[in-house]
Amino acid sequence: MNNLIVFENVSKFYGEVLGVNRVSLTIPPGITTLVGPNGSGKTTLMNLLTGLVQPSSGSISVMGLSSRDADKFFATVGYCTQFDFFPRGITGWQFLLDSLMLYGMSKATAIQLADEALQRVQLDKTAARRKIDGYSKGMRQKIRLAQAIAHRPRVLVLDEPLNGLDPLARSESMALFEELGRQGIHLIISSHILDEVDRISDRVVLITGGYLIAEGNIRQVRQEVREKPMQVLVRCDHPEALASKMFAMNHCVEARIHPDGKGIFLRTGDIDQFYSILNEIATEGIVKIEAVAPADDDANAIYQYLIGSEGGTL
Amino acid sequence: MSIYKHTYRAYTGKVTPIRARILAIARYGLAEAWSAKFTTVLFVICLVPLVGFLFTIYLSNNPAARLLMGNAGSRVLIIDGSFFLKVLTTQSWMAMALASWIAPRLITLDLVDNALPILLSHPISRFGYVLGKYVALFATLSTVTWVPCLLLFAYQGYISPVPWAASNVRIAFGMLTGAVIWIALISLLGLALSSWVKWRIVATGVIFAAILVPAGVGAIVTGVLRTRWGFLLNLPVMMSSLWDRLLGVQGHMDHLTQLPTAAIVTMLALTCCLSIVMLNARIRAREVVRG
Repeated sequence: MNNLIVFENVSKFYGEVLGVNRVSLTIPPGITTLVGPNGSGKTTLMNLLTGLVQPSSGSISVMGLSSRDADKFFATVGYCTQFDFFPRGITGWQFLLDSLMLYGMSKATAIQLADEALQRVQLDKTAARRKIDGYSKGMRQKIRLAQAIAHRPRVLVLDEPLNGLDPLARSESMALFEELGRQGIHLIISSHILDEVDRISDRVVLITGGYLIAEGNIRQVRQEVREKPMQVLVRCDHPEALASKMFAMNHCVEARIHPDGKGIFLRTGDIDQFYSILNEIATEGIVKIEAVAPADDDANAIYQYLIGSEGGTL
Repeated sequence: MSIYKHTYRAYTGKVTPIRARILAIARYGLAEAWSAKFTTVLFVICLVPLVGFLFTIYLSNNPAARLLMGNAGSRVLIIDGSFFLKVLTTQSWMAMALASWIAPRLITLDLVDNALPILLSHPISRFGYVLGKYVALFATLSTVTWVPCLLLFAYQGYISPVPWAASNVRIAFGMLTGAVIWIALISLLGLALSSWVKWRIVATGVIFAAILVPAGVGAIVTGVLRTRWGFLLNLPVMMSSLWDRLLGVQGHMDHLTQLPTAAIVTMLALTCCLSIVMLNARIRAREVVRG
């Protein structure tokens, strides 16, 4: 059994509707974020990865396993769909136990693993013994997450796991994802809340219209988009003076003062040259620079650069 | 650079055989079906006729009761193939009502709630999923058909002053076979039709319609073309003919239709095949989200 998820030239069509087209992708352990607008093919990619649908062409291997070897494959993968499905009238505890029994666990093992999963998602046992119908949105999300991780899969696929969560529940979920990623699990997340997922992602996969448009470490991907102007936030005491100097040197293409007036967003086509000029300005003492940080090396900005106007918004 | 110790350990212990997982789906289905109070009410209604049949058997074997009823008693209280045909027919239609209520609860809710992706992401196939639901429905229908039928047969054998059971084994066999064929068919048909209808109540109506509408069309074909083959669209008539033959009773229906047994079996098999095709088309984990 190897340690990679491999898509080889995978296409999936639903009749005449394109799901994904000629996707070749290798995913190592860690946290991978799938980014794309609705209908871009994220869910199809996840369905393919979890063996729920078979590719029209190409092949998929998850840790060296094919979905045809159902017992091993499905024991390896945990899936948390974006749909809020629970059988009516069931308790959270029973939901977990039934799911584990469907994974082939004996009742004793299922009880032990269900306990462990509840601890991981920080849902107390008393709450778990209550009917899911009475759960809050955050608790429902936690029990779904517990169901996905309870059988200790090596690959965890989460479709929009942060949707509808309040900030506290979101932060707890993010911490759990981060911990799982550190422990060596393959964690594949699709989310619209990119600014938060970006912080913990090891890599992003950008997809639109069923086509893969970029993949890799967020900053690496950003570096490869050299022809697109990059935005940098410079915190300084005289932002107007800095902008004027940059424009005088004919380097920046856009400048925007930060709302608090203590910084400026500068857009440049050559980031290396930009830093060099900024050093010179700092040395001259015209402005006192406090901090410099890229302002658009997040997945959302990169995605917008790459798809331009044709891909819609996230 | 941060270096983390990879401490995560996947589960590598023993797993249960596939049949245990199918039974888990069946248990899931039973819980779903019996979570509605109306299911219990309907189930009790299905058992009511059995009390009457039980009382009839008791009376027919009670000398005092027979004496009181005189000549009428000896005509009415005969326990033979015809009596058990009535039991089987009544209970089969009761089972039909129960199936039309329960089958949509087993399938429709899963489809409406988009539950299939999550259920089928477990090591269980689409066939296993349908089989689990089928087992749940078949087991429930068994409790109102062949199980009470055989219990009544056993009671008659026990209470009869003369050796009765041994000489009427064919009745027991006929009831068992007839009931199993019927509930196997309506379970499959009920699940298949439920998988195509979004609303449970509509699905219940559609199940009844799927049996009664072709029967009406069959009757028209029979009347207009003056042929008995129109009855091949009439499931109630076909089943009545089959039950007559299985119990060795010369029934009124069988005399009218005279359909060959092979033709009846072929039509029932075709109905099952059609149901399987319908289930195969609908029971999929596909989850397409378009924004």
